[in-house]
Amino acid sequence: MVLAELGGRISRALQQMSNATVIDEDVLKECLNEISRALFSADVQFKMVQNMQANIKKIVNLEELAAGHNKRRIIQEAVFNELCNMLDPGKPAFVPKKGKPNVIMFVGLQGSGKTTTCTKYAYYYQKKGWKPALVCADTFRAGAFDQLKQNATKAKIPFYGSYTETDPVKIAQEGVDTFKKESCDLIIVDTSGRHKQEAALFEEMRQVAEVTKPDLVIFVMDSSIGQAAFDQAQAFKQSAAVGAVIVTKMDGHAKGGGALSAVAATKSPIIFLGTGEHMDEFEVFEVKPFVSRLLGRGDWSGFVDK
Amino acid sequence: FSTLVQSVAGKSSLEKSDLEPALKALKDGLMAKNVAEEIAEKLCESVAASLVGKKLGSFTRITSTVRSAMEEALLRILTPKRSVDILRDVQVAKEQGRPFVIVFVGVNGVGKSTNLAKVAYWLQQHGVSVMMAACDTFRSGAVEQLRTHARRLQISVFERGYEKDPAVVAKEAIREAARMKQDVVLVDTAGRMQDNEPLMRALSKLINVNEPDLVLFVGEALVGNDGVDQLMKFNQALADMSTNSTERLIDGILLTKFDTIDDKVGAALSMVYISGAPVVFVGCGQTYTDLKRLNVKSIIKTLLD
Ligand SMILES: Nc1nc2c(ncn2[C@@H]2O[C@H](COP(=O)(O)OP(=O)(O)OP(=O)(O)O)[C@@H](O)[C@H]2O)c(=O)[nH]1
Ligand SMILES: Nc1nc2c(ncn2[C@@H]2O[C@H](COP(=O)(O)OP(=O)(O)OP(=O)(O)O)[C@@H](O)[C@H]2O)c(=O)[nH]1
Ligand SMILES: [Mg+2]
Ligand SMILES: [Mg+2]
Repeated sequence: MVLAELGGRISRALQQMSNATVIDEDVLKECLNEISRALFSADVQFKMVQNMQANIKKIVNLEELAAGHNKRRIIQEAVFNELCNMLDPGKPAFVPKKGKPNVIMFVGLQGSGKTTTCTKYAYYYQKKGWKPALVCADTFRAGAFDQLKQNATKAKIPFYGSYTETDPVKIAQEGVDTFKKESCDLIIVDTSGRHKQEAALFEEMRQVAEVTKPDLVIFVMDSSIGQAAFDQAQAFKQSAAVGAVIVTKMDGHAKGGGALSAVAATKSPIIFLGTGEHMDEFEVFEVKPFVSRLLGRGDWSGFVDK
Repeated sequence: FSTLVQSVAGKSSLEKSDLEPALKALKDGLMAKNVAEEIAEKLCESVAASLVGKKLGSFTRITSTVRSAMEEALLRILTPKRSVDILRDVQVAKEQGRPFVIVFVGVNGVGKSTNLAKVAYWLQQHGVSVMMAACDTFRSGAVEQLRTHARRLQISVFERGYEKDPAVVAKEAIREAARMKQDVVLVDTAGRMQDNEPLMRALSKLINVNEPDLVLFVGEALVGNDGVDQLMKFNQALADMSTNSTERLIDGILLTKFDTIDDKVGAALSMVYISGAPVVFVGCGQTYTDLKRLNVKSIIKTLLD
């Protein structure tokens, strides 16, 4: 998993610092610079990296550290905490509850992987004995309904959509109502791709949410996204009650730092990773074990249980 | 920076250490605008190299000297060395009695099919007849997507359904276009990750077999550091797996989703820097008319703002 590369680079930077005989201003600076470079080249938002650097510098006041204190440990702990804060929004995501119709709405930028991920999500739960269903509330993109229909058919999951109706709000409502009547317990609503610069598209998203009353809104983000990630994710959060993030295309080469920005911007945890174009290329993501694994090597082990 | 200016003013020539604070600020600025870290670093290094040893004019500040050197470097990079004039080249092919073939390639979901349709519309507007070739035979709905665009634009589309060899479908499409005396064939391909060897191999095959006139790399303006890797590896795959005598590379870039990034325009620079290929079109919306040319001046201004 590619985010782990970042962990490796950070660990190495800290290791190098540990190799220095004295830890002075220069050694700390070099270490923090290397960590920042690692974060930048993984597409973490510029401001977040700067804040992190500033926070660590604040915590690690070299002059005030009495000679007896373990400087390395203090620095490492500060780095660890900052990374945890970035990845871990502190509250778990909504988990679908059996015995009631859970409505899950997928939102995100154009081409991020919503439609593909909807089926993966449905398929994942179907294998666990759930009764999922898919609603295509994308009436905009050419071929959108065919795409969802072909995916759903392959996975043997019921679907709802229309070739003629142009109002996504209407389809969303009808689809959710239909599947509630058929006592599906996981009703997944796929929506069109949109971006914050087009207000009408965000308004449409609000309306779909209003009629479907989702239990969970999932923001789908492409792992290769750069510095625009934070602003876009934040705008989605402001217009829809985003409660979880899924990061797609993790089978690519991107280091996925844009995802960290999305977590920060939506204050929502990552729940799954997409790792390929096929239905079963989907992994559960758990923040705590991930952070531990990311940093839980060598010197880090002491902090993990804190 | 006033102290800096004083300390240097008396010196005979600029040293690297004099430039560092200004360069660091410039690099940070570029990265915040979504220029890939590696590219921002290289650019700053080359600007430094061009200035070290130079004399600073008596009343110039280091920051403005560095800035104008950077501006020059950016202009040099973003001004295309190879030019792509599609309409002219289409005419030449037409005189040779064959259709002009453009293949759209890129990673998943960047906007290949949508912008292929925009290019079709643009060609139509210039009186060029177009055929689309549905050579994404993998992704669900890909054929219907292209068919929908073709219907809306009243353009013919060549399709053979799913799970066919895209190289063969493209070949048949080109033959059909020649028979029907169409000027241009626009070949849609499936998205693929640049590290996916079998898929990259299949793409090379499509290109080797069909020898298109133009290979357009479609990349989204949203992409971060990965954009550099995408272009390098697509170029590499085309070059390495080429079976023809002349090495094949990406001829041009189609930069999409330019309407979603505000001032974070850095991907344009990263992509051009790493590939040397020109940005032929910029996609800036989801309708057929949302296809523009890159405005180099305004990109540079935004990058340095
Ligand atoms: N390699 C890889 N490709 C993926 C993954 N998830 C989605 N894709 C591909 O990304 C492309 C876009 O996916 P879609 O599901 O159509 O994206 P979308 O967000 O629904 O797009 P719009 O509805 O147009 O906004 C398709 O080619 C998918 O096959 C993934 O985890 N890995
Ligand atoms: N905002 C915006 N959206 C765009 C632009 N170009 C394409 N899109 C959208 O991006 C999404 C993906 O576009 P596609 O054309 O299907 O992308 P693709 O590269 O063919 O995808 P695959 O074939 O699945 O790899 C669609 O929702 C398009 O409407 C653009 O310039 N601006
Ligand atoms: Mg979709
Ligand atoms: Mg496509």
